[in-house]
Amino acid sequence: MSEEVRFESGRFEGIVVRSPLVSPARLADVLHKRFAGTESYFGGEPAVLDFSEVRDWPEQVDWSGLVAFFRRLGLQPIGVRGVPESFDAALKRLHLANLDEAALRLEAARPTEPPPAAPTSAQAPASPQTGTARAASTKFIDRPVRAGQQIYAPEGDVVLMAGSNPGAEIIAAGSIHCWGPLRGRVLAGAGGNLEARIVATHFGPELVSIAGVYQTFENGLPASIANRPVQVKLQVIQGQSHLLIEPIETI
Amino acid sequence: MRIVVVTSGKGGVGKTTTSAAFASGLALRGFKTAVVDFDVGLRNLDLIMGCERRVVYDFVNVLQGEAKLTQALIKDKHVDTLHILPASQTKDKEALTEEGVEKVMRELEAMGFDYVVCDSPAGIERGALMALLFADEAIVVTNPEVSSVRDSDRILGILQSKSRRAIEGREPVKEHLLVTRYSAKRVEEGEMLSYKDIQELLRVPLIGVIPESDAVLHASNQGVPAIHLKGTDVAEAYADVVARFLGEDKPLRFVSYEKPSLIKRLFGST
Ligand SMILES: Nc1ncnc2c1ncn2[C@@H]1O[C@H](COP(=O)(O)OP(=O)(O)O)[C@@H](O)[C@H]1O
Ligand SMILES: [Mg+2]
Repeated sequence: MSEEVRFESGRFEGIVVRSPLVSPARLADVLHKRFAGTESYFGGEPAVLDFSEVRDWPEQVDWSGLVAFFRRLGLQPIGVRGVPESFDAALKRLHLANLDEAALRLEAARPTEPPPAAPTSAQAPASPQTGTARAASTKFIDRPVRAGQQIYAPEGDVVLMAGSNPGAEIIAAGSIHCWGPLRGRVLAGAGGNLEARIVATHFGPELVSIAGVYQTFENGLPASIANRPVQVKLQVIQGQSHLLIEPIETI
Repeated sequence: MRIVVVTSGKGGVGKTTTSAAFASGLALRGFKTAVVDFDVGLRNLDLIMGCERRVVYDFVNVLQGEAKLTQALIKDKHVDTLHILPASQTKDKEALTEEGVEKVMRELEAMGFDYVVCDSPAGIERGALMALLFADEAIVVTNPEVSSVRDSDRILGILQSKSRRAIEGREPVKEHLLVTRYSAKRVEEGEMLSYKDIQELLRVPLIGVIPESDAVLHASNQGVPAIHLKGTDVAEAYADVVARFLGEDKPLRFVSYEKPSLIKRLFGST
């Protein structure tokens, strides 16, 4: 059995930790070399612990020990994947979500065909999960968000005062407002808020998403919106969700 | 004492060349300067500084208590206010610990050094994190190509989250962008990013542009930091970088390409 533990950047979840090990002690041994001397290696990013690669599940798992271990590394475990049902009660006690199902729902919300280059509207076969907008404080980010950095606002809006760069990721339960270049992956309404919007003065992201309905731009952006003031919002027509990406004409 | 890390994320972009030239330039201005090789396992700096035969003890020996810092520091043969702390070629990278590095930095300060220049290894693993951990300023070395710019962006993000200054919520590390291996001709021909493109992407103040030059290879073969190569573009560009770092106003040079005139092409340069 391989003991390689991989840290990958995930779609919605922040960091995905794929671990073939479930013993905190074994994990500490294996990861000691990699992170020793740099306590809190991560910066508080949310993490999904994916245990699909675990071969022999023990009868007892020290879940709180695992959570504590990843917290020491600077991660905030929010949920798990690939864990047998017998542990459901234990996971609930620790408020760890079982994301197996959620992941499936996410797949369903994605277009079945590769998204078209022209960002007219992305079709979503299933309507995205609904949720209620929550009044919460706004997160202001004064410096450029850089490649590999993630801004995560689990409750409110994000305002980027100096834009974001390719390879950055911005996730907000509410809306995302951007002054300066908007690049990277930009996901608003992450908790299912259909009213969330993305508003930018210089539009040019790699991906935008609202409440799970997303659009990528591998083949570039049309001149009408590239690097221009743009807003992105969700339109629900007869139960079908579309992304509406349009220039802001009033500026 | 100010600690300056020379970093990039990507390898082979000119960090060690820059560390040697920049540290030499500060020393030439009269500042007591130490240049420290954090690239444990590769050990390149001593070659570029031309002191490889004088290495007896190294950084790791000091960290492990096998030698005193004063025994491991090598006096530079060109400028007597410059000292080199070489990395070890063989020893374990795990020897670089936060406490150990901090202790060495404290000792350098007690010895009256004005500047410590930390030559970072590539990547974002232990060595690179240790090199930037105590930095007050950072020179982010970038080549005019997309992958190098992306890696520099990444390392800027790490500076903003993993440096001591960031962790303790002090004033952030002062960032400088240095574009190296710049060919104005290839930029003109659209084969490379221009320094303006790079600056627009990274949004960090530009401290200089170092042209691509064969002189760099000659210099490193002879163990002479590039800033000592009198009369070359590279030496002058590095001298400008040092001047700007010290707050002097210097216009950018060596960034535009002029097509050789017909006469020059026919008769060679005169
Ligand atoms: N301005 C330059 N012009 C030409 N070659 C350069 C220049 N700067 C660095 N080099 C060459 O690039 C290679 C990598 O340089 P080095 O300083 O060792 O990079 P790093 O420390 O980032 O790995 C070396 O062969 C060096 O001679
Ligand atoms: Mg090097």
